[in-house]
Amino acid sequence: MMLLGDIATGLLVSAGVVFFLAGTVGLLRFPDSMTRLHALTKADSLGLGLVVLGLLPQAASVLEALKLVAVWLLTQLAGATVTQLVARAIWRGGGRS
Amino acid sequence: MTVPAILRRGAGFLALWLVLAGLNPGDLPAAIVAVVAATWVSLRLLPPGDRIISLPGLGALAVRFPRQSLEAGIDVARRAFAPDLPLNVGTVGYTPRLPAGPARDAFLAYASLMPGTVPVSVNGGVTIMIHCLDTRQAVVQQMANDEARFIRMLGGADA
Amino acid sequence: MPEFLLLAATVILLMVAVGLVRILRGPADVDRLMAVQLLGTGGIAALLLLGIATSLPGAVDVALVLALLAAFAAVIFVTSLDSP
Repeated sequence: MMLLGDIATGLLVSAGVVFFLAGTVGLLRFPDSMTRLHALTKADSLGLGLVVLGLLPQAASVLEALKLVAVWLLTQLAGATVTQLVARAIWRGGGRS
Repeated sequence: MTVPAILRRGAGFLALWLVLAGLNPGDLPAAIVAVVAATWVSLRLLPPGDRIISLPGLGALAVRFPRQSLEAGIDVARRAFAPDLPLNVGTVGYTPRLPAGPARDAFLAYASLMPGTVPVSVNGGVTIMIHCLDTRQAVVQQMANDEARFIRMLGGADA
Repeated sequence: MPEFLLLAATVILLMVAVGLVRILRGPADVDRLMAVQLLGTGGIAALLLLGIATSLPGAVDVALVLALLAAFAAVIFVTSLDSP
């Protein structure tokens, strides 16, 4: 049981790391601000989600697991809202250097 | 603003406090101050509407969300890692069923996390723009399906 | 297991730090903001990994504060774009 949890943690956290890499690569390679916003929003929110999911088997208590999920939910909420704000700013032509 | 609506908000923040801070009797004064302050600010910034969130609707959304988040992440990762950077960027118009307002904004934020799309509302107009990584995907259909699910979650058969 | 989690935290931090090249390159201010947001999310992931790996529950609270600050930073940044 313990071993199974460790394997799940290893796989999920590693997958999360890959998506953080994808977020960075997308941010550096994608051609304009809007496409970079796609990379940032999708890749890093999935990366964090997988890391949180992978940490759940290692949580010391149910409360700690719930807290991890709460942190994830709050970052999703903040991330989605920030994405909307940034998208509107780009659309208005704001953000020119 | 009805009393049950205020109590629901308060109960939500209390539950959040308990998850984040744990159940310690010594924290009680801080918890009360935090929950009351959070409820007050929340009611000021976002007055309760007549919508009551449907739990089966929320469940359906919660079950679907991980798969779509995964699909969205893989889609972006695949394009980012591919040597020839396969993008077919463009915008597509979309008319949401939800009228301009907090419910629509919530849906647009939710849809930003869906595969391939970042919706942009321009000055609260009737039509919005969807920015797509690949315009060959069935973007409008996907948005309409997601919006229907979102409206069911908000407890309405329609907008 | 703790060694693996710490390694994962380090790799994530390194990768989001590479993303900071976007701050130098820009070209628009929003591009720079996005690099900082990526650093914020990566930092949250690293703190959560650290907290569980070292059984240091406080790290999770720090992650929560970082999430809050990153969101506020973005809101203030975007607002300031409209009123230079």
